[in-house]
This record gives sequence, C-alpha cells and structure tokens, in this order.
Amino acid sequence: MTQLSIAELSVPVNGMTCASCVAHVERALKELPSVFNVTVNLATNKASLRYDPVQVTLADVRHAVDNAGYIVPADEMTLDVRGMTCASCVGHVEGALKELAGVVTATVNLGMGTARVQYVPGMVTASQMKRAVNNVGYEAVERAASTSADAADRERQARQDDIRQQGRNLIIAGAVGLVVMIGTFYDMLGPLKAFIPEFLSYKWVIGLLTTPIVFGPGRQFFVNSWRGLKHGVTDMNLLYATGIGAAYGIAVINTLFPTAGFGGEGATFFESAALLTAFIVLGRWLEALTRGRTSEAIRKLMKLQPKVAHILRNGQEIEMPSDEVEIGYLIVVRPGESIPVDGAVTEGYSSVDESMLTGESLPVEKKVGDAVIAGTLNRTGAFRFHATKVGKDTALAQIIKLVEDAQASKAPIQKLADWVAGHFILGVHVLAVIVFMFWFFVGYRSFFDPNTSFILSPYKLGEMGVFGFSLLLSVTVLVISCPCAVGLATPSAMMAGTGKAAEYGVLFKGAEAIENTSKLQTIIFDKTGTLTKGEPSVTDVIASDGNPSALLRLAAIAEKNSEHPLGDAIVRGALSGGLSLVDADSFNSIPGHGVEAKVENTDILLGNRKLMREKGVDFVALMQQAEKLESDGKTVMFVAINGMAAGLVAVADTLKEHSAAAVARLHKMGLEVAMITGDNHRTAEAIARQVGIDRVLAEVLPQDKAEEVKKLQALGKKVAMVGDGVNDAPALAQADVGLAIGSGTDVAKETGDVILIKDDIRDVLVALEVAKATMNKVKQNLFWAFIYNLLGIPLAAGLFYPLVSVIISPEIAGLMMAVSSITVTLNTLLLKGFKPSTRHHEQTPGELNLRPIAIQAGIIRN
Amino acid sequence: MEQANIENLVAQRSALIYLPIALSVATLFFVVASLSGEYQPVAKIGGMVWVGLLSLIVSMPLVTARMKKHLRSR
Repeated sequence: MTQLSIAELSVPVNGMTCASCVAHVERALKELPSVFNVTVNLATNKASLRYDPVQVTLADVRHAVDNAGYIVPADEMTLDVRGMTCASCVGHVEGALKELAGVVTATVNLGMGTARVQYVPGMVTASQMKRAVNNVGYEAVERAASTSADAADRERQARQDDIRQQGRNLIIAGAVGLVVMIGTFYDMLGPLKAFIPEFLSYKWVIGLLTTPIVFGPGRQFFVNSWRGLKHGVTDMNLLYATGIGAAYGIAVINTLFPTAGFGGEGATFFESAALLTAFIVLGRWLEALTRGRTSEAIRKLMKLQPKVAHILRNGQEIEMPSDEVEIGYLIVVRPGESIPVDGAVTEGYSSVDESMLTGESLPVEKKVGDAVIAGTLNRTGAFRFHATKVGKDTALAQIIKLVEDAQASKAPIQKLADWVAGHFILGVHVLAVIVFMFWFFVGYRSFFDPNTSFILSPYKLGEMGVFGFSLLLSVTVLVISCPCAVGLATPSAMMAGTGKAAEYGVLFKGAEAIENTSKLQTIIFDKTGTLTKGEPSVTDVIASDGNPSALLRLAAIAEKNSEHPLGDAIVRGALSGGLSLVDADSFNSIPGHGVEAKVENTDILLGNRKLMREKGVDFVALMQQAEKLESDGKTVMFVAINGMAAGLVAVADTLKEHSAAAVARLHKMGLEVAMITGDNHRTAEAIARQVGIDRVLAEVLPQDKAEEVKKLQALGKKVAMVGDGVNDAPALAQADVGLAIGSGTDVAKETGDVILIKDDIRDVLVALEVAKATMNKVKQNLFWAFIYNLLGIPLAAGLFYPLVSVIISPEIAGLMMAVSSITVTLNTLLLKGFKPSTRHHEQTPGELNLRPIAIQAGIIRN
Repeated sequence: MEQANIENLVAQRSALIYLPIALSVATLFFVVASLSGEYQPVAKIGGMVWVGLLSLIVSMPLVTARMKKHLRSR
C-alpha cells in the first residue's frame, strides 16, 4: 500500500469579495484529488489546505483557483547563479528551487547564469531560494531583494490598492449620482430650481450621466458575474449586476421607446441604477477598509523584525538583510535598535523592552549568557550576541505563524454562516422568480394603485404596466436579499479578537479555540507552577531520632537526581544549610509516589503515603504531626530509612500573587473552578481554601489527569485545563480548551488551544474575556448582517403593498445593504478599544515608549 | 491538460442541459401568459426574457456542479 505523504499549504487568493466566493474557492480546491481540510478565509484572503504533494502541486492549486474565477498572485524574480557548468547543474538548481513550497516554476539559463523563479509571495523568500541553491553547491545572488517584511508590504500594498480603487469608484458614483438625483427630483426642488440648470432634468441627460456610473464603477459587478457564470458559479456580484442591469436597461428602453409598453416615461429608473451602484460601491469600500484594518495585528508583528542586521565578521562590521543571518553569526546591537534574530548575549549589557512580544511591561536586563528575542527593542546599552534561531524558527516567526493560522481558520459558527450565504444566492434568485410571477399573474390585477410611491420618496409610479411593476419588485428583492455583510461578519471579528489577545500575550491557535473558550463552564487549574509559583521550599524537618540535619541530608541525596520541584526544594534546603551531598549509589523515581535511593549502604525511601503503604512502612507515630502540617497547606514527604519510618520533610509552595483574585473573578463570571494535583487531599484542600477554589481533585497521578478532565466532561460540562504546556499535554489535549501557561516565547512545542506567553494567571481571565467579547461581536455582526435582509425581503416583495401602497425602490434596497456593511464594519472596529478587566490600569501593550530613548539621545530632557 | 479537458467537457455537457431547462421555463411562462389573454406582447416577451434569465442563473450552477461530480467519478 502506498504511503500517503501529507503537506500543508497556505496561499493568498485575490478577487474574493463575499461568502459565496469563499464557498466557490473551497469547492474548487476540494475537487482536487488528495486534498483535505480546505479552509478559505475572506478576511485574510488566504486558502489553507492539506494535500498529498505527490498527487497535487502548487500549480494545480493555482489552476483550480483560477478556474473558479480567482487568482493566486505570483511574483517573479531572477537569481544570478554562479558555478554552473553543464546541463546537469541546471537540473540540480531547478530541482532545488522547485522543492521549495511557494515556488511555481523555476527556469535556469546556463548561458546567462540565471535562474528565473515564479513564486507565490509570502510563501517563500529570496534568502530561502538562495540557501536552497547554495545547499546544492552553487552560489546565488538575487537581483531583487525580497524579505518577509517585503511580502507584508506587498500584501499591504495590495490592500491599499483595493481601498484606493473602491474609493475612486465611490467618488465617481457618489458625485455623479448626486447630480442624477438632483436632475430626477428637479420638479420638487422649489426655489432651488433657480440655481440648477433645467437640462439636468431631461431624461436623456440623466441617462447620459448614469451611463458612466454603470459602466465605470459598476463595471466590476458585470465583469465578476460573467467570470463566475463562465465557471458555472453564482455570487453576490450577479445579484448586483442583475439589479443594476435591469434598472438601467428598462430606463434606456423607456427613454428611447416610451410607447413600447415597458412603463413609459414614468418608469425611467436611471436614478435607481446610479444610486444603487453608488451604495453598493460604498459597501465594497467599507469591506476593503475592514479587511485592511483587522489584519493590522499581523503587520505590526511582522514590522517588529528590523530589515537589516549588523554582523561582525573578521573584525569588520557589515550590514546584511535580517533574513540572511545564519545561526552562529555574531551580531551587534546598539541602543534604540531592534534585535534581528533570536540569540544569546556574548558581550555587553543592556535592558531590552520585550513588551511588544510578551506583554512584559518592565524592560528586562540582559547580560552575557541571557537569551534575546527577535523583534524586541534594545533600550540603553550596546551588546553583541550569537544568533541561535533564525528565519521561521525565531520566537517572533512562531508567534506570527500562530496568529496567522488562527486568523485563517474558521470557527464552527462561521462555517454555518458561509454555508447559508453560499446557498442563499440561488434561493434569492428563486424568490425573485416567484415574486415576479405572483405580481405578473395575480398581484398587479388585484392590488396595483397608480398612486403607489416609493418609501422615502414622493416619486409616484403612475401608469406603470404589469411587466414594469413586477420587474421592479423582482429586482428589488434581488438587491435587498444580498447577504453581503455575512461574509465579513465572523472573520473580521475573529481577526480583531485574535489580534487583540496577541497584544496581551494570549495566543489562540484557531478561531474554534475562541468559540470554545467563550462557552466554558468549568476551569481546572494544575496546582504546582500554575496556581503556585512552582518554587517550593523546605519549611519543617521532623526526625524521629531528633537529628533533622542528618535526615535532611539523606533526603536531599535521594532527591539529587530527581527532576521534581519538591525534590529541588529539598536539595536547595540542604545546600543552603551547608550540608554536603554525595551522589546516590542507585536511584529510582516512582511517578506519583516518590523516589527510592541507596547511599552508603543505606536504603532511603522518600515520598507520599501511597509509597509508604505499598512498601509497608508504618508511620502511625508521626501521622498526627503530618496531618497538622498538611492542614497548614504544606506538602509532607515521608522519609523511611532501611524500611523504618525516619521522619517528615514539609515543603510549601507560595501561591502566585494574583491567584486568589483571578479565581474570585472567574467565580463572578459564573465559572466553576477546580484544582488538580498529585498532593494529598489535606494539603490540596488547604491550598484550595486559600485561593477560593470549589472543587479539589487531589492525589491524581500525572497519567490520570486527562481522565479527571474526561469525568467532568462526561457531566456535560465544557471544561478548560490550565497547566504547563509540555508536562500537562494529555490533560490539555483532552480538555475542550487547553491553556498552556508560562510558555515563554518558544510557542511551537506547546500543546493546547491557547498559549499564555507570560506566567501570569490573570491571562486566563484575559483569554476568557477576549473570547467572550469576540463571540459577542460575531453574534452582533451576524445579527446586523441578516436583520436587514429579514426585514427588507418582505417589504421588497410587496408583502405590505396591499395595505399601504408603498414599495421600496432598488436604490433604497442598495442603501440598506450598504448600511448593513457599515454597521458590521463599525461594530468590529469597536473591538479595538476593548481592554480586559485585569488590564484597565495599564497602557495598551505594544505601544513603544520612546521617552527613555529620547532622553538618552538628548532629544528631550528628563 | 487533463484537468482542462474535463473542464471543457463539463461546460459543454452542462450547457446542453441548463439551456433547454431555462428555455422551457421561459416558454412555459409565455404560454401561460398567452392563454390568460390579458397581456400585451411586450409584457409577455419581457416577462419571458426575465424568467428565462433567472431560470438560467438558477439552473446553471446546479447542473454544472452535478456534471462535474459525475464526470470526475468516471
């Protein structure tokens, strides 16, 4: 059986404007063989998929997207390649380049010594291409530099171009549309008529003014519709094109042939076509603005990495692009400069502002041996460091990828919204046919009133014929039914939410993580290192023979090879007491129980009650003292020497500063809080009392933590687990939401759905509050996106016409759709001002405080 | 190349189905409107064109999607 190899791909897709576009691209990609887990995101303009690279290539993916009517953009660059001598060299270089993800084609010219590469920007960089060529034994120099920051610039440029183009369309459609409206309502202007030329009211003049609007700014709807129809797909452009085209077409016919029977001069809806175009373009412009703004979080992160690094080579300082720095290079950093790659300080001393990445508000002192992170800002000193992680391995690159992947993913609620919107278009056209047929065969005869007017307009329909009236209602239904804002409602809110969380050092791994976090009912905290500082210390030593120092020494020798925090505490306690520790002759760790060791012909057993019970050591004489210590919240370890009870060593870990306050706040939010620990019940309950926790799961073996999570889930609860991402992996994976706390910036190895970079328990609250705020925003956006449709469709279809003889004009329908887009956009942007309750007193993280640097540079005085 | 051939075949065969569907619906509309006897020729023809266009828009993606599925499975 052939082994299926699976690769992941994320490509930019241009040309999508709505949820139905998303559905079409997804369908096109799913039709490719051996392609799985396709996710297309409108807000990020990206398609992510998993595929078998043996069966499907990047070119196939581009072709599928192209066939669906959209574009995967490709750039071209030329490398100068040195060292090639024959055709096989050409093959090696081409092969090396084509193996890179993101390279579409690579053509090497032996005579000119060049490699022309067509690639998808953002997926591969020039430095990666050069490295690939170098790795096969040739030297490559690029003719045009391309860095990940340049890819971000290009992406930003593409968005700005889109915004500018729609802005130009809006100005033309709005300005000329205003003139058309003035001309149409000329007779109602009263004294203002004196300032307006009469010819503006002539139908043919209005027609001439409307024509450039329909075929200028409105052209995009016809072009996009035709492109979609050629591939057998329908999208929202078709709704607009049908509506605008029908209104304009009928108006032209009634102007040129008023007696043809389409309604006559009273049914020239040029202003409908003009204003409809203007309002829809307004909605498009706002959507383009929203897409541009909400991906700001990613761009901010990308901009943190400086474009150049100062490398020290053979005593000389040279400047090179940051993307080309290799591991081991010695890099110089001066005050005010950003750090280009991850590394370890080799010389010098400084303080570094890491707030833009970790949210840590105070600058961190860096000396020889300390780690530095790419993207952070050197404040006051100068230093040199060796690069230890470069390119996609840096903490910054990992965080960017995590946030990007989260923003490109889809929450379950969004999948539902996209499915509804995608199928809605066909349903709308069916509805339009039904509405037309009803009014044509039944409604006009029964209910038509020549005094019918449009809502918000004194314009009367007069003697409009059955065809004109039925067509008007049918067209209005098409326009008002368009779920234009639905496509943006969820992804825009998700992008804003993930970006907002990242500002506080909370990284959601996907949109589904946000949705699940908002629904949590129970949170389980791991005790050691999560609720407590994880640095316990020895508090009491009780020896049966009255020699506590000897007991502590033996206990420390037994724990010397242990990696457990309690063992560390005993060793530290012994060393700080000046006790000398030799190595044990033998050592065995029994997880969840303790350790056994042998030294100087002495058998030492150190651990909990379970261990002593299993080994048959009787501690009755010391039990009362043990229980007293445990009720004080201390962890008691029983020490047996040569099979006899020898004494007790009590260790206590301090609660983290904000643990109690965080638990209180969680209770206020309506959540049940539990604690899970391997400690005995008495100790665990004492800690739980201090911090205010309801439910204690004590004496749980590490391998059983996931089972405890499962038990709570079996009660029908949505459960989160908060713990160390590496050590608590099974429990984090089992939970509905796993929160890995204190990961630091090495986020790649963390299990769990949410990564909390800082070791601050309040970030659990930040994650919950941001998730709830984001989901509330999603629901609000979907409400605003759909409410206009739900209210507008019955009105547009003429449901209330028999009662009130008033109908909605196509341009008012277009205005309502633009207003729904405006509402969703503005509502999403409100999330940018959101501040979690635990951070109200802080300045917004990520804002660079340049004051100390300005003082240092003498620009301002202290 | 094979992909492009399948796409062309899908487009051709789909058109042979959805075009007659749209024409049939449009013709049915015209017949019903004519039989009722109340409508001007302009209204009947205009209505026929509009109903035919909307029927084409509804049937085209449905037929094309089914045809794609059918040909790919073969």
